[in-house]
Amino acid sequence: MAVCPVYTTQSLNSTCSISTPSKTHFSSHHNHLVFYRTSKRTSKRGGSSSCVITCSAGDSQTVVIGLAADSGCGKSTFMRRLTSVFGGAAEPPKGGNPDSNTLISDMTTVICLDDYHSLDRTGRKEKGVTALDPRANDFDLMYEQVKALKSGIAVDKPIYNHVSGLLDPPELIKPPKILVIEGLHPMFDERVRDLLDFSIYLDISNEVKFAWKIQRDMAERGHSLESIKASIEARKPDFDAFIDPQKQYADAVIEVLPTQLIPDDNEGKVLRVRLIMKEGVEHFSPVYLFDEGSTISWIPCGRKLTCSYPGIKFSYGPDTYFGHEVSVLEMDGQFDRLDELIYVESHLSNLSTKFYGEVTQQMLKHADFPGSNNGTGLFQTIVGLKIRDLYEQITASKTAAPLQATKA
Amino acid sequence: MATLRLHSLTATSEKIPTSPFVPSSRVLSASFHCNEKRVSRRMTINAMGGGAKYKGTQMREKQLSEMIEKKVTEAKQVCEGDETSDECRVAWDEVEEVSQAKANLRLRLEVEKKDPLESFCLENPETEECKVYDD
Repeated sequence: MAVCPVYTTQSLNSTCSISTPSKTHFSSHHNHLVFYRTSKRTSKRGGSSSCVITCSAGDSQTVVIGLAADSGCGKSTFMRRLTSVFGGAAEPPKGGNPDSNTLISDMTTVICLDDYHSLDRTGRKEKGVTALDPRANDFDLMYEQVKALKSGIAVDKPIYNHVSGLLDPPELIKPPKILVIEGLHPMFDERVRDLLDFSIYLDISNEVKFAWKIQRDMAERGHSLESIKASIEARKPDFDAFIDPQKQYADAVIEVLPTQLIPDDNEGKVLRVRLIMKEGVEHFSPVYLFDEGSTISWIPCGRKLTCSYPGIKFSYGPDTYFGHEVSVLEMDGQFDRLDELIYVESHLSNLSTKFYGEVTQQMLKHADFPGSNNGTGLFQTIVGLKIRDLYEQITASKTAAPLQATKA
Repeated sequence: MATLRLHSLTATSEKIPTSPFVPSSRVLSASFHCNEKRVSRRMTINAMGGGAKYKGTQMREKQLSEMIEKKVTEAKQVCEGDETSDECRVAWDEVEEVSQAKANLRLRLEVEKKDPLESFCLENPETEECKVYDD
């Protein structure tokens, strides 16, 4: 009957690594640790050794999410949508280095993996490696620190300054409830991969990448179409060799392609976005349209809903992706009006929303974010809700398991 | 402060490019159509008036713009010899890095409307960087 969120001594050893006196942050670790003897409860239970010590650091083990994207850090509208799902805005650490890439909100901390560059800009120039190259990154440190944060230990993480191109003095990162590691190589190293509870890969097709970079850079004095094109071309070999292969490991891939609704469109304004969801991932149930596992093609615009050109087209169905079973939900086109969004939401299933219209509400909250009128915003929001669901499931199972152990 | 932002869900007429780097802003698409690049830049900066609050941020924006220009020139020079060389790839990667940094800063200022130096300047208002930038 006693709801006692405690761990058996066995689980204590695995979640609270107290036998690490060499860790420099033992003091901060110590702050998170609360040891006490719940003698009252144990005596009721006949003095069993099970309900003895609790460790608050292990109480809610940090959930780690990996996001692979080739668009720098701290920008991420994806990150902002994600943190918004949990409530609160994510901000850089207060009073710290203003060039910090880290974002912190109540529940989440977003770390930019560029901070694990082993070579700064000068170093990379000397060695002749791009930032995409694994040789420019310290995967050992990345693994150690992500592992530490996951176990509830704070770390001193380096800061890579994108303006100066130098490695700045480290900043203290405390273990959050949800840790998101964002950057070029979250799934590159196998050890880091194993620490991820969920991983996402943002796969932008070449045509769309080109169109977006034109929009990003054309207003800059130094740039021209040629320089933008040359930059993409020059980075492509390293990108294809080191970054692209990570998508086979992702639990969810958001693929962004040019639209098929407008023939010969090369402006990258209307987008076709595919949400590729791996089947069989723990705590993750793919979103579906109408009938799970079947193949659907759906144009919502018609008698009930009027859309303007080029309209909206959805499709859903099972597929295989790098040898894995997946479900793919695809949206081509744009939302023009609020009621289109509500209509679409009402026909999707397994959204992990807490109330009807939550997806629409989240999209409206950030209506000025890029992608708010197409599949990128929609699927990013949905993935955010899925991550929330995953987090709740993981933390629920963490408290449930010991209870069962004590009952035994 | 220019408020030429569209809420894309309520707009019906103009289709705005949906890049994750560039917020939906009429001003930025207008700048493509201006013949005078200088004029368009001024238009862009004026529209961003609500952005850079502190001198330090304004200086950073300027610094990044200059770096982009410099590194593009460098890359073109380096690649003249061999386009597939390591040096050439590294040079264009640097261009990408600073272009992205500039875009991030712009996004932060325009979409979030928060100067990155905000919390630093609350603690250190007397520094050079924290002088308030008058538009």
